[in-house]
Amino acid sequence: MTDQTTSAGFDAAALVMAYKRRNLRRVGLVAGAVTIMMCLVVLDIITGPADLSFGRTLAVILDPSLASPKEQVIIWQLRLPVALMAVTVGAMLGVAGAEMQTILNNPLADPFTLGLSSAASFGAALAIVLGWSVVPGVGGLFVTANAFVLAMITSGCLFLFTRLRGVTPEAMILVGIAMLFTFNALLAFLQYGASELQLAQLIFWQLGSLARASWTKVGVCIAVLLIVLPYFMSRSWALTALRMGEEKAAALGVNVSLLRMSVLAGVSLLSAVAVSFVGAVAFVGLVGPHIARMIVGEDQRGFLPLSALCGALIMSGTSIASKAITPGIVYPIGMITSLIGIPFFILLILGQRKRHWQ
Amino acid sequence: MIYSIAPLTTGNPFEKIVGWKDDLITYDPDAFRQYEKAFPEDTARLINFGNPYAGDFSIESVLEAGTDLLLLDVGNLFKAEETGLIEKMESAGVNVAFVDFRRNATENTVPSLLMMGRILGEEKRAAELIDFYIGQMRKVTNIVDQIPADERPLVAIENAAGWQADFCCWSFGPYNFGRFVELAGGVNYASTLANAYSVDISLEGLIEADPDHIIATGANWIESRPEVASILLGYEGDPAVNHAKLQALADRTGFAQMRAVKEGNMHAIYHQFYNSPYHFVAVQQIAKWLHPDEFADLDPQASLEELHDKFLPFEASGQFWTSLK
Repeated sequence: MTDQTTSAGFDAAALVMAYKRRNLRRVGLVAGAVTIMMCLVVLDIITGPADLSFGRTLAVILDPSLASPKEQVIIWQLRLPVALMAVTVGAMLGVAGAEMQTILNNPLADPFTLGLSSAASFGAALAIVLGWSVVPGVGGLFVTANAFVLAMITSGCLFLFTRLRGVTPEAMILVGIAMLFTFNALLAFLQYGASELQLAQLIFWQLGSLARASWTKVGVCIAVLLIVLPYFMSRSWALTALRMGEEKAAALGVNVSLLRMSVLAGVSLLSAVAVSFVGAVAFVGLVGPHIARMIVGEDQRGFLPLSALCGALIMSGTSIASKAITPGIVYPIGMITSLIGIPFFILLILGQRKRHWQ
Repeated sequence: MIYSIAPLTTGNPFEKIVGWKDDLITYDPDAFRQYEKAFPEDTARLINFGNPYAGDFSIESVLEAGTDLLLLDVGNLFKAEETGLIEKMESAGVNVAFVDFRRNATENTVPSLLMMGRILGEEKRAAELIDFYIGQMRKVTNIVDQIPADERPLVAIENAAGWQADFCCWSFGPYNFGRFVELAGGVNYASTLANAYSVDISLEGLIEADPDHIIATGANWIESRPEVASILLGYEGDPAVNHAKLQALADRTGFAQMRAVKEGNMHAIYHQFYNSPYHFVAVQQIAKWLHPDEFADLDPQASLEELHDKFLPFEASGQFWTSLK
């Protein structure tokens, strides 16, 4: 009897210890990822065709009045928005993919596989090829606006679909895939009739580019992240519970369908804004979360921030690589994202023995 | 294509044409309206065969129109081979010929014109046009040959400037306008980076390279794409409007600080010179911008007018280039 109590007491203490250690490890991992991201951002800002030293760049950032007009333009108008855009868009796509996978309980769900990016591309193609503006009066931004509206309409359709009776996550994914193919087909129609110049612009748009970054766009991205991310964080427990199974989550008091809808709304906003600003960048939203999951596991408190950071890291690395290949030439980021993220992803797969998705 | 058929034909250039594609109407409405004025019935009669680059090209409508010959840009060669277009056409008794005024324009203009002259039965006219073309090109190349390498300014071409409001810049490698710049005695910036027809250059790289001259291409695209900020050069170009448009492009972030812009060496030129035998006018004007002293006596405007007087069914009008200075 006494023995049993001691052993139970010992176990409890060990559990608490283990729990604290896990918490600490999680905080450490996130802090580590933040540090790496900072380093990448700095590297992103100091690389470019113009030969500016680290010290000089830092001095100009800390005190803009020091800059020559040329440095002012290069650092403040070109490099900083691009570097910050890479990080914010990467984080948005990472978070969107992570939560899409969570609510749909499927490792292949992400804004790209569910047709949101195709819808955005189709919207952009409507603007580029036919000159149609879905939202009147947006001027030169109408390609972006069209992409955003079409992506939102698509997620709206997905959203309405969840309201139907007895719809399972699997059915939602199938609808998403149906959307993907529908918009790809519509897009092909427009490409078919496009002129050379339009085709060049369309392909360039689809492959994605950070060259269109501006402070306003960075601001919008940060604002959207600041709205959606805290909400997702506040729902971490419910989302973690959802990953254990819908019934278990419901038994724990989670309103599953409400949770699913509200998260889907947030995910749609994140991915629609990201995709409309930088183009249909695949991979980040799909693999960023998987990398995070392999490192930190399923618990949303670690998984969510790390997914955001992984997305940001991939995009930031891409931004650096796209400038480094041939200085002076802009390579579309869509061509590079996968090449940057994949080696790391494969390494993680090889290093893991545990199944993460059952 | 009509840019080369019209000067080759003694009478009505549309006489032998049964169908074409609508890109003249879309991308150079000014020029289309000139042809419309000269030959209203023919421009209305023509059938749109679609765009062979994109794929909506209709073989059936080509055959239906009773075509004897299909004239394509050499850029379509790969596609035509891949889809078996050439064999299909030939088995239906339609010949297919490829011309090039675009990719290696400066090398292939003469052979293309020779071939088209023979096809159209206008050999004499073709010989006259080729003589004129070579003579005009020589006016520049003979002098440029004497200019040492270190006196050749760095030139950046911005292809279709203002087509996309939030992106800079498409440029040409050592082809097309890139080649025109080299022939005109300049060093083409994008050629130093890549050997490709089209090169996407970064604005930062451009600022760092600090070219001596920036040349933007533009045409009247605003009718088919109202959002463009391009310079509306062409047969209906208005100098005041175009100067304001060029100034607006020069005021873009990054451009305003560049030496070329500050010194007034930002220019704009008619984009459609890229796809016609008239590119000698562009080469002359670029040479004049790059080496004003050496080419003080050269008058590209006169060359353009002479081309129209001698070979085209209408007068030169409007504006085909402009400069900040």
